Amino acid sequence: MSGRLFQRRRDGRVEVRLNEIGRAVVRDAAERIVRAERGEDGWSSSLRLPIVPERDDDDPLRILERDAAVTTQAELVRVTVDEALLSADEAWAWLVTLQVALRATADETGLVGDDEWGRAEAGVRERVEGLQMLLWSLADCL
Amino acid sequence: MATGTRTQREGTSVAVAERSRPTARETWDVVVWNDPVTPMKVVVVIFKRIFGYANNRCTQLMLTVHHEGRAVVWTGARERAESYTAKLQAAGLRATVERSGE
Repeated sequence: MSGRLFQRRRDGRVEVRLNEIGRAVVRDAAERIVRAERGEDGWSSSLRLPIVPERDDDDPLRILERDAAVTTQAELVRVTVDEALLSADEAWAWLVTLQVALRATADETGLVGDDEWGRAEAGVRERVEGLQMLLWSLADCL
Repeated sequence: MATGTRTQREGTSVAVAERSRPTARETWDVVVWNDPVTPMKVVVVIFKRIFGYANNRCTQLMLTVHHEGRAVVWTGARERAESYTAKLQAAGLRATVERSGE
């Protein structure tokens, strides 16, 4: 993955310049999030943080609002992962899905601070940096 | 006597109403927390999309999160604060709601 990975066009759409490896990273992120929402992946706990920590239970409507948004965005990424051009809303879904995946990866691997980042295994660093590279490039287009 | 009692009751109800009024107007903060992996640029884009703030304000809030570990990004009624927090969490940021002034 080199050069600009995403490019905003004059008509407002975002051109996807990822190779198959890059698209596989995006597809994997979306699929893991969908599985996590069903409770079938280790990312589940990262996706279910408390909204109001001082209360024992969050408002079910807010939980539904959050979980539905996460799943809808990830599903949208799954169906657009092979597209050459994304609408602004599709590009937003890609951005937040990759960001959710990045944070879940950090939580799963214990990357909670700079010290842990310094001690992280090469494979974990590579995965995190890959997601960051995609996010940097995509954020430039939004 | 009767008048006195009535006045006392009225006084009590006024006192109760005044005690409960501040609770009804209580404000809540939406707090975004720092994490070591999220790119700064992404935080700015998310703030802009969810709150509609200007670029400068989004950048300033992002820098506060980065340097101080957290930033209050919105203050107001509890329901809206929770809704904004749900949106921020769905966008992959670490966000919570707390009473203003805590």
